[in-house]
Amino acid sequence: MNHQFLGALPLPHPIIRWLGAVGRTTRLTLEHAGGLGVLSWQIVHVTVRLKVSLRSILNQMYIMGIQSLPIVIVTGSLAGIVTSQQGGYQMTSAMPSYVLGSLVVETVVLEMGPVLTALVLVGRIGARITAELGTMVVSEQIDAFKSLGRDPVAILAAPRVIAGVLVLPMLVGIADLTGILAGLVSADLTVGLGAESFFYGARLFWHSWDLVYSLTKALVFGLSIPLISVHMGLKTKGGAEGVGITTTQAVMFMTLTILILDAMFPPLMLN
Amino acid sequence: MIEYRNIHKWFDLPVLTGVDMRIETGEMFALFGPSGTGKSVLLKTTICLIIPDIGDVEVDGVSVYRGGRTAVELVRKKVGYVFQQSALFDSLNVFDNVGMGLPEDELARLPRKETAAKVWEALELVNLEPREILSKIPSELSGGMKKRVGIARAIIGRPEVLLWDEPTTGLDPINTAAVERLIQRLSTELEVTSLLVTHDVEGGLMICDRVAMLDDGTIRFCGTPDEFRACQDPVVQAFVDRAAAEAALDMVSESYD
Repeated sequence: MNHQFLGALPLPHPIIRWLGAVGRTTRLTLEHAGGLGVLSWQIVHVTVRLKVSLRSILNQMYIMGIQSLPIVIVTGSLAGIVTSQQGGYQMTSAMPSYVLGSLVVETVVLEMGPVLTALVLVGRIGARITAELGTMVVSEQIDAFKSLGRDPVAILAAPRVIAGVLVLPMLVGIADLTGILAGLVSADLTVGLGAESFFYGARLFWHSWDLVYSLTKALVFGLSIPLISVHMGLKTKGGAEGVGITTTQAVMFMTLTILILDAMFPPLMLN
Repeated sequence: MIEYRNIHKWFDLPVLTGVDMRIETGEMFALFGPSGTGKSVLLKTTICLIIPDIGDVEVDGVSVYRGGRTAVELVRKKVGYVFQQSALFDSLNVFDNVGMGLPEDELARLPRKETAAKVWEALELVNLEPREILSKIPSELSGGMKKRVGIARAIIGRPEVLLWDEPTTGLDPINTAAVERLIQRLSTELEVTSLLVTHDVEGGLMICDRVAMLDDGTIRFCGTPDEFRACQDPVVQAFVDRAAAEAALDMVSESYD
């Protein structure tokens, strides 16, 4: 191994370095995409073969769902209040005030409810899963599962992903509802828009498809967050530092994924 | 019998570059080597926790890397693995941790009373008082106790082969000696084939039938403890001297603490 001679080599041309960086990024992206694909397949496989414990799924649903309720309610309420206040400020002199009802409901249901809930859960659930599984990797607990003939995908990964898919639509539904109610109260207090006018405006522009759109987004986010966090957690290398690095990367990765998926939804479902 | 055939493994650099080694049935075998030479990597290739780039491992006639998933499952049933950091499951108490050592189908089939009896017996075999620790979680145990619980988990399924990955690392000299005696006693009582990866050269020479030294990715020496002590290879001698000096330093720092 002649690593001592590497320092004597001339630095490569900037274009070569740039190409190298592009190559590394592409390789990394493909590695993650492949890893996510394999993990998804393994989860489907163990689920179809009924190897996932119902108790583990319920336990994860409790952690992700019930324990996240307070933060989801607060986030949904604030989203409704802010939308109502800003809409009221911009519209009252230009449009009939009942339009505010439509603005609040559509904004909360189509955008704020699913996206803010997902982003809150990235921090609350995604980071937790990555750190938990990462610690299990570096302390050899995952290897211990394998050595004892147990499948970590069935025991650890599948319950988290299934729980995420089931729980997030429910949480988004709750966030939507609290956001609308908080927006209603806020509209009444700030621009004096009563409940009757608020709901009149809301009904005027409401499509049932909007709710399907909101819950489909929640379903996709509910799959993405635990899937990415489990994948990143199981890929952890190194000790405590490695867990910290992987958790930060996972949060970035999940946040970006949520925002990119969010941008892909309107052309796919609203046109 | 465990046979390693031409094992190669690269991470960023080559770690194992053609390891050939054979451990006979019922034998107690120690593998020494400086830190970072791939001792634990080699041990993990035995049950497919790390997959070699080239080469194969055979356990009692079953080829781990040519037999597919079934072979891996079969070998994992035969082998008990004691991890360097104990690797106890944080969220489970001692009872559940040790119980996890039983095969999945057996654990599902056995009444809880029988599982409890097996857990109890395994804990007693490693000189732990079951009544006192069964309900404790790993964070409530000392380092020595964690090691013993890890050993109990590895032996509860009555394996035919035991793999020990640095079982005395991080223990004080008294606990180190106790764990070494335990390894020797268990290997004899359970009539298992043992492969011990350790940096504790004196301990390994004392309790093992044969030893090997891994250096620069290959087996540098393989023979009996007496042959190892008499070996004239300068690399082996330098390693023995350094290991003795490190052991003495450990003793001094332990007594200073």
